[in-house]
Amino acid sequence: MSAERNSNEEALERLIVELCAEPAPELDWDRVEARLMREPKSVTRSATSTLASRLRWPAMALAAAAAVFVVTKRPHAPVAVVAPRAAAQVASGALNGDKLALGTHITAGNQSVVVLHQGRARWTLEPHATAFVSNAGEFLTVQLESGALSASVVPNTKPETFAVEAGGTRVAVHGTAFRVERSGDRVLVQVNEGTVAVEPTQTHSDPSFLLRRDSRGNFALDGRSGSVEGNASVVVGDAAPRSHRQIALSQHAPRPAKAVTAPAQAVGATPAVAAQPVAAPAAQSLPLQPSISDIESGVSSAIDLLNGCFRDQTHSAGIRVSASTGMTLSVAGDGTVQSVTFSPPLAPAVEDCAVLGLRTLTFAHSVDGVTFTRLLELTR
Amino acid sequence: MTELTELIERCKAGDGLAFREVFRNHRADVARLVQRMTGRPGDLEDLVQEVFLQVYRSIKDFRGQSRFSTWLYRVTVNVVLMHRRAAKSRPVLQDAPEDGFGKDLRDLPDDQVARSRRVAAFYRLLDRLSDKKRAVFVLHELEGLSPTEVAKVVSAPVLTVRTRLFYARRELLEMLKEEPALEFVARELLAESGAEPLAEREST
Repeated sequence: MSAERNSNEEALERLIVELCAEPAPELDWDRVEARLMREPKSVTRSATSTLASRLRWPAMALAAAAAVFVVTKRPHAPVAVVAPRAAAQVASGALNGDKLALGTHITAGNQSVVVLHQGRARWTLEPHATAFVSNAGEFLTVQLESGALSASVVPNTKPETFAVEAGGTRVAVHGTAFRVERSGDRVLVQVNEGTVAVEPTQTHSDPSFLLRRDSRGNFALDGRSGSVEGNASVVVGDAAPRSHRQIALSQHAPRPAKAVTAPAQAVGATPAVAAQPVAAPAAQSLPLQPSISDIESGVSSAIDLLNGCFRDQTHSAGIRVSASTGMTLSVAGDGTVQSVTFSPPLAPAVEDCAVLGLRTLTFAHSVDGVTFTRLLELTR
Repeated sequence: MTELTELIERCKAGDGLAFREVFRNHRADVARLVQRMTGRPGDLEDLVQEVFLQVYRSIKDFRGQSRFSTWLYRVTVNVVLMHRRAAKSRPVLQDAPEDGFGKDLRDLPDDQVARSRRVAAFYRLLDRLSDKKRAVFVLHELEGLSPTEVAKVVSAPVLTVRTRLFYARRELLEMLKEEPALEFVARELLAESGAEPLAEREST
């Protein structure tokens, strides 16, 4: 009997050990997290009401200060000013960014002010800085009027769901944590986590700067130029999605026949391809398509040409610039380039320059012509 | 201020990023405890989510008088017990899989299949314990909490915890005889010790 009891107890111990050794269950954590980060919003009422009750007196002080500010400074915009005295009280909690009316100005006093957009972003306005939310909804935008702010953003599958604009410079989030400081006519950006894109607010045709983790940049207030340190790069081309365009060249004026054997001299806006005239071969002796060597020599000329355009049409202020694109050329039977497509597209100025150069390029004659694509890495 | 304390303070201020950090740091522990408490894979995800929703709702009540892990254990145990009570009043549409805690056993080696079946059988035994006994047994024997810590989690005197542990073990030992998948464990151990196997003793 005691042997049986002992063995049962041993069996129980063994089962306990086995159960303890079972690995923790693996759930679809991304799904659980996504649901969780959505659902807490439905239970925030009690939390925010508690916070609201704590902030009642500071809020009244804010309202009074706001009223003064509205009268004296900004008659048309809803204004909430965090006065220095009130800031000390507000800083212990976080302002609910989702409840801020668009255009509400926030000015930090001697202490920083935290603004929280539930489940999306948290930004800290550093002492004496002023900012306001200019765009709510899916894509948040904070306008930094003076001083500095740091932001920590929940990663989102959609890019640029959070952006800070300082003057004409837009700093859009591709990652999680960064700091923007508006200092005179400069905008200083430091990236701690993830990636941000810095570009002009008004146009997407200028270069955009990509700053990655542990890099920093110093930009002009219009966002069109700047210098970067660390793991950063400049992307030339449209920052905004733009469908690639097929550029037809056949509509241009008739071109003289050019050979493709000589290297291109891509200088200036209209690079010329050094060429030797060739006589059109008799039709009966033509191959169906140009030979590989004919194609490749033409491609190398096209690449030289494109690199020349890239060098001449981009401005990188002493830093290395690179761009990748797929170039598709359609070559007619008479060896002329009928159309060209860049995907993703290059800056319009670079493309226009390339088109002018490609008009002078001629491949070997063939019956059917050829269409081919090459991936290009352009640097300057 | 420790990193965890800072995270908790930020959670209390409604910081979603801090809450996400807490979730990521503790989700595996919570999932494991829920699994051990319920023994059923079907509700696991919903229960884990419910636990963290409760954490979100009530973290402002956490005053740091106990360790955060102890408080989290208490929230988890309460969520599971509430769920079980609610489940008792609902019709059972589908039982948990018989073998291997929801695993597909077809491609597993024999010893792993046997092991999975033992684990599933043991969960069935745990499921037959009362809620209070199962909670203290899981917390002490499987999670490794001391009786004092268990007492804090279940809000009961330490002596009560020890008593529940004693009876939980005794009931499990009795139930071992009734589970075919577990019986051979005892049989093997008996064979190693030279004693008469259980089944043969019972048949004589």
